[in-house]
Amino acid sequence: MIQMSLGSRALSCCLLLTAALSAQAGQEVVVTQKNKTFSVKKLTVKVGDSVKFLNEDSFAHNIFSLSAAKSFDLGSFGTGGSRAVVFDKPGKVEVECAVHPDMKLDIEVLP
Amino acid sequence: MSGARRRPVALTALGLALGAALSVLAPVDAQAATGAADGKLPPQGALLPKDSVDAATFRGGLVFANYCVTCHGINADGNGRAARLYNPRPANLRMSDKNDAYFALIIRKGGAALGRSEFMPTWEAELTNEQISDLVAYLRSINQHKAN
Repeated sequence: MIQMSLGSRALSCCLLLTAALSAQAGQEVVVTQKNKTFSVKKLTVKVGDSVKFLNEDSFAHNIFSLSAAKSFDLGSFGTGGSRAVVFDKPGKVEVECAVHPDMKLDIEVLP
Repeated sequence: MSGARRRPVALTALGLALGAALSVLAPVDAQAATGAADGKLPPQGALLPKDSVDAATFRGGLVFANYCVTCHGINADGNGRAARLYNPRPANLRMSDKNDAYFALIIRKGGAALGRSEFMPTWEAELTNEQISDLVAYLRSINQHKAN
């Protein structure tokens, strides 16, 4: 009985740890690029969430941001390609495409 | 008879006078239309022939301002607002020692294809051949490398 109790406790700990880790890892939100526009104009995520940029155009995009909350450049990626970025600080992030200056996406990262 | 003779003479004189008046007026009108009489540009800006180098340079400047300034900067010196993201930094195009063919190639194919920065995108799907040619003309016009 004692052994089973210890086993079940260990299992419970493992489950709790897994749940905690998955909560920390955050959610992944997919934003597509098609016809030189982002699939959404505004997006709200939480710290730890990631946004995956998926190119559904027949030409390359180059997604970047110069915002203080998150500066990044995902480089050029072509049709069907994708790149993801994790948002690790709260704040407002303006996302742009280096190849298509009219493409804009505002992301608000909540604590 | 004398009346019939006088009429052609009078008409000829009238025609000559009218022609002279038009020839005097025409340049004045052209000057007024372009605003060139007093050395000022017309309201719509300088009128340039489409195929001139100046026209290509002018158009190329617009292409540069729209697509290239983010990294290369408005002065083309590599100090655009996104320059801080990159190491090595974007090229100082004013001091570039590359020729026109190289400019056109790296614009079309991007930096990685030429062993340069992978963050220089490929532009061949976005810019027309004319835009790339105009952009090269603009880059040549601002280049201050000693060999040029």
